[in-house]
Amino acid sequence: MKKTIIAFTAAAVSTLSASDALVPTDWVAENLRNPEVRVIEVSVEDGVYQRGHVPGAVNARWHTDLVDPVNRDIVSKENFEKLLSGFGVTPDTTVVLYGDHNNWFAAWGAWIFDYYGHDNVKLMDGGRDKWEAERRPLSTSPQRHRRTEYTVQETRPHLRALLPDVLAAVKGETDAHLVDIRSRDEFTGKVVAPAGIQELAIRAGHVPGAVNVPWGEAVNPRDGTFKSKDELREVYAAVGIDGSKPVIAYCRIGERSSHTWFALRHILGYEVKNYDGSWTEYGNSVGVPINNPSGTVWTGK
Amino acid sequence: MVMKTEDTNEGARGGPSRGSLAAAAVAAVLFAAGAVWFGDEDRFGSRAGIVFLLGGAFGYVLQRSRFCFLCILRDFFEERDARGILGILAALAVGLLGYLVLMSSWVYDPSAGHTPPGAHIGPVSWVLVLGGLVFGWGMALSGSCISAQLYRLGEGSVLSPVALAGTAAGFVLGFLAWNTLYLRALATAPVVWLPERWGYGGALAVSFLVLGAAAVWLLTRLRPEPAEPGEALGAPPYTLRTLLRAVFVRRWPAWAGGIFVGLIAAVAYYRAEPLGVTAQIGSWSRQAGTAAGVVPGRMEGLDGFAGCATAVGAHWLSENGIFITGLVLAGFVGGLASGRFRLQRKRPAEYALALLGGVFLGFGSMISLGCTVGTLLSGIHAMALSGWVFAAFVVLGVWTGLPLKRRFESD
Repeated sequence: MKKTIIAFTAAAVSTLSASDALVPTDWVAENLRNPEVRVIEVSVEDGVYQRGHVPGAVNARWHTDLVDPVNRDIVSKENFEKLLSGFGVTPDTTVVLYGDHNNWFAAWGAWIFDYYGHDNVKLMDGGRDKWEAERRPLSTSPQRHRRTEYTVQETRPHLRALLPDVLAAVKGETDAHLVDIRSRDEFTGKVVAPAGIQELAIRAGHVPGAVNVPWGEAVNPRDGTFKSKDELREVYAAVGIDGSKPVIAYCRIGERSSHTWFALRHILGYEVKNYDGSWTEYGNSVGVPINNPSGTVWTGK
Repeated sequence: MVMKTEDTNEGARGGPSRGSLAAAAVAAVLFAAGAVWFGDEDRFGSRAGIVFLLGGAFGYVLQRSRFCFLCILRDFFEERDARGILGILAALAVGLLGYLVLMSSWVYDPSAGHTPPGAHIGPVSWVLVLGGLVFGWGMALSGSCISAQLYRLGEGSVLSPVALAGTAAGFVLGFLAWNTLYLRALATAPVVWLPERWGYGGALAVSFLVLGAAAVWLLTRLRPEPAEPGEALGAPPYTLRTLLRAVFVRRWPAWAGGIFVGLIAAVAYYRAEPLGVTAQIGSWSRQAGTAAGVVPGRMEGLDGFAGCATAVGAHWLSENGIFITGLVLAGFVGGLASGRFRLQRKRPAEYALALLGGVFLGFGSMISLGCTVGTLLSGIHAMALSGWVFAAFVVLGVWTGLPLKRRFESD
């Protein structure tokens, strides 16, 4: 484990910078016909891709293509290879992801691509909303590309935190920062889930020792783009996250935390894992310590 | 035969009065203002403008061509006049072709296990059979289906507001029954998309065979109407006056209305969502019912089905609410400009019947995930088995409900 982390940080320093991981809409518009580039939409809402997408983009359905449809798990290596082969992607292709809702699931996609060793993966800054707000053209033609035989070169399990990793950090067996990117009310245990979302955890509160930086702190409210590298560094430094220690990011189901994970890893170059089990796993687990400042038990007092 | 004056196939001979025209102009200005207001994407998002206009187009076409499912079925059952049903068949055929273009480009391989996004493909079970029957009875008792109740507001129907209030109440009853129905039947009911089984070509061929067979059967029973001299569509003299009368005053033939409905259905699916008129009524009823503590907060599986969704969204007015607003306003333009707006005194028994029928409409469309528009039209357009099953039992419901209504009225 330690070895891979060292290898990974070395790679991170040499290849990653803000401009690499994040591409502006302009860049995407200029590279629509570039055969080395494949644009992939990952949206939460069903049907938005079909009614108009970035010309040439293909569509990945997060709830079937990027997760395992039966087990609670990320997409299997085999299915990921099948998906990318269908998209005509090779390990050298530059993949640009974008989606609705501030790129939430596009960021989940970026995490999956990174997990399966696809280095050249980027997010279109501001996502679908920015593209539309700039009155850029949308296409409704379905896109199909010549199939490839994509094979995963390496997997990077160190980008993913599982429950034992989180518990090790809580118990001080490993030295890691935990960042909870949910709303303040979820963090403090006043509510179990955001408004309008079913309460899928038995306990409220947060993982002991976690700091609360809601995901929205990482974006410019004006257009949903990520804040600058310096601004981001300040946001996280204010709660003690400065890249000196590994970070574990979590939320409710692991999707919004992918967004913060992306900022920490691909913009700031920190060592960070996404905990996709997140609160719906942790808050339901038996025998794990919880910090709940509101003192709620179940949903009452 | 109290309804006869407002349901007749004849055009308004005398044309609209000055007052009626002035009111129509006011309604038209309101509609234009609505288009500008909803066109501002900061209010309800970028699709609101087109949705409002589509609602207007739909409402205007319904009013002008008297696209009222009950009136059309009653014409056939009671007077052997099949022109209206042929209009519905036209709407289904045109919409099927429009949907085919969209679905075959969005889901290239229908056997791959993905259904086209948002298409109204619902579960098929005895609940749908019950829903269709109850909805048909509701149509017969209340005097029309939900979409026609909406456009008839613009014709001054005093029964429509009562029937629509009943519809909201019927929705609440549906929500109360939902969890039981879901666990008994809907959770395991098959959701059948015909192209998944037969391919696009096969599904289209079967759909057109059914529509064609129905048309042939109807045409052999059609009692030809005597032509109205000088009033036939497109007949000379070709003057501006005859054109204006043909568009604004005279009834449009049902087949013309059907073709427009099919086109609007395809455009609506392309730009926004499938046609439907119950989602907003449903979500308001659900909100009110939940707030009053009557409707359970958790409706099992409901929001996972495709259909007229009643989940409470981010805005107080849903996209469907915007569509209905356009529909009703355009109904007023159509009703007033053609001189069809008239308020009629009704007997208390008629109000009671409209209310009861409305409750049936609401309950039937809640458990069927839509009405004659959302489940029947949009379902058959999407090549969903649920659309066909619902259609069959709505017709059966109307057929058995009409004698019931006559009995009530004679009491």
